[in-house]
Amino acid sequence: MLELKNVSVRYPGMKDNALSDLNLSFEKNEFVCVLGKSGAGKSTFIRCINGLQQPTEGEIHFDGTPMSFQKEELRQIRREMGMVFQHFNLIPRMSVLQNVLTGRFGYRSTFKNLVGWFTSEEIQEAKRIIAEVGLTEMENRRVENLSGGQKQRVGIARALVQHPRILLGDEPVASLDPGTSNRIFSLLQDIHERLGLLTIINVHDIELAKRYATRIIALKDGELIFDGKPEDFTSAEYQETYESEQQNLFFQI
Amino acid sequence: MWFKKRSLIIYALLVVAIFISMRLTEFDLTKFRDFRNMIDFLSQWFPMDFTRLPGMLEDTLATLAMAFLGSFLGLIIGLPLSFLAARNTAHSKPVFHFFRVALSFVRSVPEIVFGLILLTTLGLGPFPAVLAITFHNIGVMGKLISELIEAADTGPQEAMKAVGAKRWVASLFSILPQIWPNVLSNFFYRFEVAIRTSLILGFIGGGGIGQRLFNDFNTFNYSSVSLDVLIIMVMVILVDSLGSFVRNRVI
Repeated sequence: MLELKNVSVRYPGMKDNALSDLNLSFEKNEFVCVLGKSGAGKSTFIRCINGLQQPTEGEIHFDGTPMSFQKEELRQIRREMGMVFQHFNLIPRMSVLQNVLTGRFGYRSTFKNLVGWFTSEEIQEAKRIIAEVGLTEMENRRVENLSGGQKQRVGIARALVQHPRILLGDEPVASLDPGTSNRIFSLLQDIHERLGLLTIINVHDIELAKRYATRIIALKDGELIFDGKPEDFTSAEYQETYESEQQNLFFQI
Repeated sequence: MWFKKRSLIIYALLVVAIFISMRLTEFDLTKFRDFRNMIDFLSQWFPMDFTRLPGMLEDTLATLAMAFLGSFLGLIIGLPLSFLAARNTAHSKPVFHFFRVALSFVRSVPEIVFGLILLTTLGLGPFPAVLAITFHNIGVMGKLISELIEAADTGPQEAMKAVGAKRWVASLFSILPQIWPNVLSNFFYRFEVAIRTSLILGFIGGGGIGQRLFNDFNTFNYSSVSLDVLIIMVMVILVDSLGSFVRNRVI
């Protein structure tokens, strides 16, 4: 369904690649967690998939066709991929319902978006999804008055209303407490199982990854160092993923 | 401890600058020995003459209308332009530079110059004054709002892109709600400034309470001048409190 072929990313002015020569393929029904230290390239990896970051080399194939970075085609690909963010990235001063409805923007005409004409089906659908993520009766609350966990639920609802085929998460629980993180992950798992969405999520927390993922990918300095089942990600792999070069040096001495 | 050698030089330069400025502006407090003249003059302001109050209120309304139209049209035209003049939302570098330069050009021309130029085709009256205020405010609002746009949080903008929204729809929806309270407070400030400007424009025939004040002054009608001034003060205070009321409601 989704395939990365020799994907590399190098930011302008940087000596090293942020991602080096990644070759990966993903199928429907996978729940993938991406592990790695800060700066290992996790974010860059996720952002490549929906074209927020253009690879310097290589190609990304979606349903067998290489992804284009042409404005219109990119837009059509993006609306099939929902994304949730670390800082939620909701639109302030708008209600839960309004925020969720912006998830439909990719499918509607500019004029309809500007005047805010939504069909009653679209509104019913948005309300149904808001209830599904556990925010029943909250659709008219302003998003800045919600707690962190509730905000992320709005973020998830906004992604779901797109009817995406892939759900991406860039550290969606990094600014939440452990209990809330756990509940958000189990919501993501529910959705994944019910809709059969390919779900790819960056996390810090290896416990969460091992509990929920069906597949773990580990990145280090932009390179793939692990790709396999959660049960195969043992303390040796953990060491390799998270140890720093300074520690290496220390041990060598 | 607090005074370094280099800052002493700066203080010395400031003193010199003050001294030179005083010479150039003939700043001389001893001139106040004729203070009595001012008292005599001001005593002619009272008692106030209320006989022409209805006409004054009518002119005040005209001034308010001028200021409101000028600043509001400036906002409506300046707002879209500001998106073209902000680094993060302009389509390309040349577009950004063109609109930045255009806005600062419009801004650099004082309203009174616009007014004097427009008088030649439009004649006397409030209409050229409204246009003059509008032009200047397009420049000011465009610049202020484009700076707000550049400082807006990029998170929501990224989310709107990820949803597959068209670029400018994404910018509009992710940025405008964020900056809206600041846009309003800039608007009300400019509205207040526009009232003062329309007074000055009244002096060159722009109509409104400004022109009446100028006429009353030139015809030595001081008991009316005092009422004009009072009305102007009340108007400015009212607009100011309306502004803070709306701002508080919005935030």
